[in-house]
Amino acid sequence: MNNPVLLIVIPLLLAFLSVIIKKAGKWLLLVGLLFNTALAFFITTGETIIGGFAPPYGINLVVDQFTLVGVILINTLMLITIVVSFDLVGKYSIVLLTALAGINGMLLTGDLFNLFVFMEITVIAAYILSAQAKKYHHTITYLVIGSVGSVLYLLGIILLYNLTGSLNMADVAAKLPLLTTKELLVPVLLIFIGIGVEVKLMPVSGWVKGVYSNANRLIAPLFASVIAGTALFVFGKLFVSVLPVSDTLTLLMLIMSVMTFVFGEFAAFNQKRVKNILLYSSIGQAGLVTALFISGLVYAAVILLISNVISKLIMFTIAGAFTEKYETDDYESLNGVFVHNKFTGIAFTIAALSMAGIPLLIGFYAKLNILIGFFQAQNYVLPAIILLMAIVEGAYIIKLLLALWAPGKEGQVSEKSFAVEKKQLLSVKNTIICLIVALVIIAGGVLIDITEKVVTDGQPLLGDQSPSFTISQSKGGE
Amino acid sequence: MIRVASLLLLMIGLYGLLSTRNVIKMIISINIMELGVNIFIVSIGFVTNGVAPILTSQVNSSLSNFVDPLPQALVLTSIVIGLGITALGLAFARKLYKKYGTYDLAKIGGMKDE
Repeated sequence: MNNPVLLIVIPLLLAFLSVIIKKAGKWLLLVGLLFNTALAFFITTGETIIGGFAPPYGINLVVDQFTLVGVILINTLMLITIVVSFDLVGKYSIVLLTALAGINGMLLTGDLFNLFVFMEITVIAAYILSAQAKKYHHTITYLVIGSVGSVLYLLGIILLYNLTGSLNMADVAAKLPLLTTKELLVPVLLIFIGIGVEVKLMPVSGWVKGVYSNANRLIAPLFASVIAGTALFVFGKLFVSVLPVSDTLTLLMLIMSVMTFVFGEFAAFNQKRVKNILLYSSIGQAGLVTALFISGLVYAAVILLISNVISKLIMFTIAGAFTEKYETDDYESLNGVFVHNKFTGIAFTIAALSMAGIPLLIGFYAKLNILIGFFQAQNYVLPAIILLMAIVEGAYIIKLLLALWAPGKEGQVSEKSFAVEKKQLLSVKNTIICLIVALVIIAGGVLIDITEKVVTDGQPLLGDQSPSFTISQSKGGE
Repeated sequence: MIRVASLLLLMIGLYGLLSTRNVIKMIISINIMELGVNIFIVSIGFVTNGVAPILTSQVNSSLSNFVDPLPQALVLTSIVIGLGITALGLAFARKLYKKYGTYDLAKIGGMKDE
């Protein structure tokens, strides 16, 4: 019963059903999500062969500890997003169910071409979701950049097929050491750029601003945490276990990732709208996660990825509520909005502080792991950049939180009367959900032993990666 | 030769994307790019004087000059996906025209709020 293929097939089946029974679409979506989230907790590591042909000729689904974390996290996040914004689902249930199938397929598949197909399914659903804002020129920009990315990815895997004679990930990885860097240069870079469109790496992330900044309470967290999280998990799988490449290529990809990180954080600093701050911060964090994957710090990357997508889920949901209730998300015209919505504000603040890396929150544990990992690898350039960017990050997050909590301009004594007019941002149910997710952020940071156990379950994530920092280790050092 | 030609098509498509802001022309450019990649994929499996990879009474040895069938299967999938994206792109283009009265993204950029 706990066959991972059900994670893909059941949402697809429900998507077809919801074409026939249009009225029940919303509920079918909920059923599909509940089923997937429940099943994600029960699938076990192993390999499932699809279609009766043994790999490398047939297609297989591979569940390792890394994929398992991804499947559980992404399905749960999507369930939370949909439950919070259930009133906005409307006719999008078919698209959302298809996206759910595509996302699970992307995470599970062990075949490069199959990954391309699932990526296209997800991306086509994403194009349709991005059109919800009725800003069609942004959607078309996304469609064009996305299609070019897909074409480049396809060309990359075909070149790889020409070189290795296989499309199976494990088989390709086994044959890769026989190839020279010169031969690998073009295919690996093409795959890097192709995946980079969804991961939001810098030269190909031009679509992000238009799509994210106009998305509503449902679509924005879906893009920022569910789809972006999936893309990052796939990136990790590809560039850690399938295409672990040599020095020249690593350096090239590392430079692109770090530039994305620096650009994203600086761009976030300059923004006036809450969603723009968040979207540029997403781009920056995506760059950092890819840099960590390429450097081989898998555990640190996964923790950062988890902390980031959970934070973004809360923050984009609340940012979506700003546009919904006040018709703006410019933080200067939302002065003191959290004075009226204290609990929503607390959830937002915890998520933001975790992003900034304040101790006792999961974001701090993520950053600590990154720094210790780099120092252990005797790499001192990247930690310097990361710490420098942490100042920028802290600056814009504090600026943002101050404007949203304290009514009145700079130099004024803040009084409640200066605040924007009182409106309830989120319903009671949604505020409670946001607070529970915020509690997970705190729990993940305080109980790091449990976090480590949940994420690794005693098994290495893609190769011999162990966490750099644990409680027992710090006790041993005293 | 055919591979060079297919990569040339890819480049022509890329040039088209970079040089025009007209939505319909951009979608055509994407199609040209996809066409280039599809021809490239088929060319990967090509074998001179090859035969179809089916064992028959005439061709009864697996050592024959078989054409690789996998790229052809891949290209079918890729064509279908390309078709889907084209259809979706054209649907968005139509909506765009209905809303702004033009297909030119450069003109629309200066037209609205943001």
